[in-house]
Amino acid sequence: MNNVITGIIAVAATFLLYRGSKRIYMYKPSSFTLPIFLSTSSIVILMLLTGISYETYMIGGRWLDFFLGPIVVSLAVPLYREIKLIKKYAGAITIGIFAGSLTGVITGIAGAKLFGFERWVSETIASKSVTAPIAIRITETAGGNISLTAVFVTIAGISGAMFGPVILKMCRIHHPVAKGLSIGTASHAIGTAKVLENSQMEGAVSALSMTVSAVIVSFLAPIFLSIM
Amino acid sequence: MKYFIMILQISILFLFNFIGQLIQDYFSLSIPGSLIGMLLLFSMLMLKIIPLESIQGGIDILLRDIPFFFIPVSVGVIQYLSFFYGKGAFTILLVIVSTFLVISISGIVTNFILKKEEKSYE
Repeated sequence: MNNVITGIIAVAATFLLYRGSKRIYMYKPSSFTLPIFLSTSSIVILMLLTGISYETYMIGGRWLDFFLGPIVVSLAVPLYREIKLIKKYAGAITIGIFAGSLTGVITGIAGAKLFGFERWVSETIASKSVTAPIAIRITETAGGNISLTAVFVTIAGISGAMFGPVILKMCRIHHPVAKGLSIGTASHAIGTAKVLENSQMEGAVSALSMTVSAVIVSFLAPIFLSIM
Repeated sequence: MKYFIMILQISILFLFNFIGQLIQDYFSLSIPGSLIGMLLLFSMLMLKIIPLESIQGGIDILLRDIPFFFIPVSVGVIQYLSFFYGKGAFTILLVIVSTFLVISISGIVTNFILKKEEKSYE
């Protein structure tokens, strides 16, 4: 009974902070007011200040986790709506996703080596661009740390959602297909949620990219981990 | 009634996720059940077995607030604060730089090919 109340409070507080963050973002849209960033960081700060443990928060947090699988399923809808467009640009989309997946795996492993990290860091970081369930599986096979992979995946998701639009502007990329593709390839579902704000078209390409890149990275990561 | 229909529509997502997981377990695939579920729902829509109109109401509501459901996973970062205080901090930098590179390179490559294709149509 006590747990149910704790859970309800955790979910209600998360919901209120999310709504609040969304309102702030509406008034002042910027990378640092992105709702996922603003609400996550305010919850982390609140927990550190009040000493509420992660386990306590997750009594309710786990309920929201149940939605993660179904949310990935829901991306079939924007994908279906934009299928004509995707078919039209199939060639460019395939090459673009492959280029991005390759970049993520190589720069992740090379960077870990450059900073002089142990082998397990490379194994943990190689899959960070793809959606968490696949990233975890890739890391498990490679021999890295799976819970840290989940954290890297989150950082890749949030940083891409926060700064992706700025980077695309700097690179003068305006085509909705290219925009959705790059953020979906780099930042999986968190990035897809962000670009769905712009248009269903970008969201659809992003959903497709996160799916295809997940499959590509599960092949590329073990290959480059063995040769690099 | 409206809410009842919305709940039913969202339940369909849970059902597909569940079926996807069953398929993943049964064939011991490395592709997660949720992605299998997404491809299944997508095929059902393409084959018109499930008409879009019958599910889109509830799903569109959910699509608008996806980030909400990602908050608890993201809060998980809190368990690694001690790792990130030390040398581990560089891994954050590395993940971010690598992510930015993925975005720019896939964006530039895609944009380049799209422009080329559009020129060849002219």
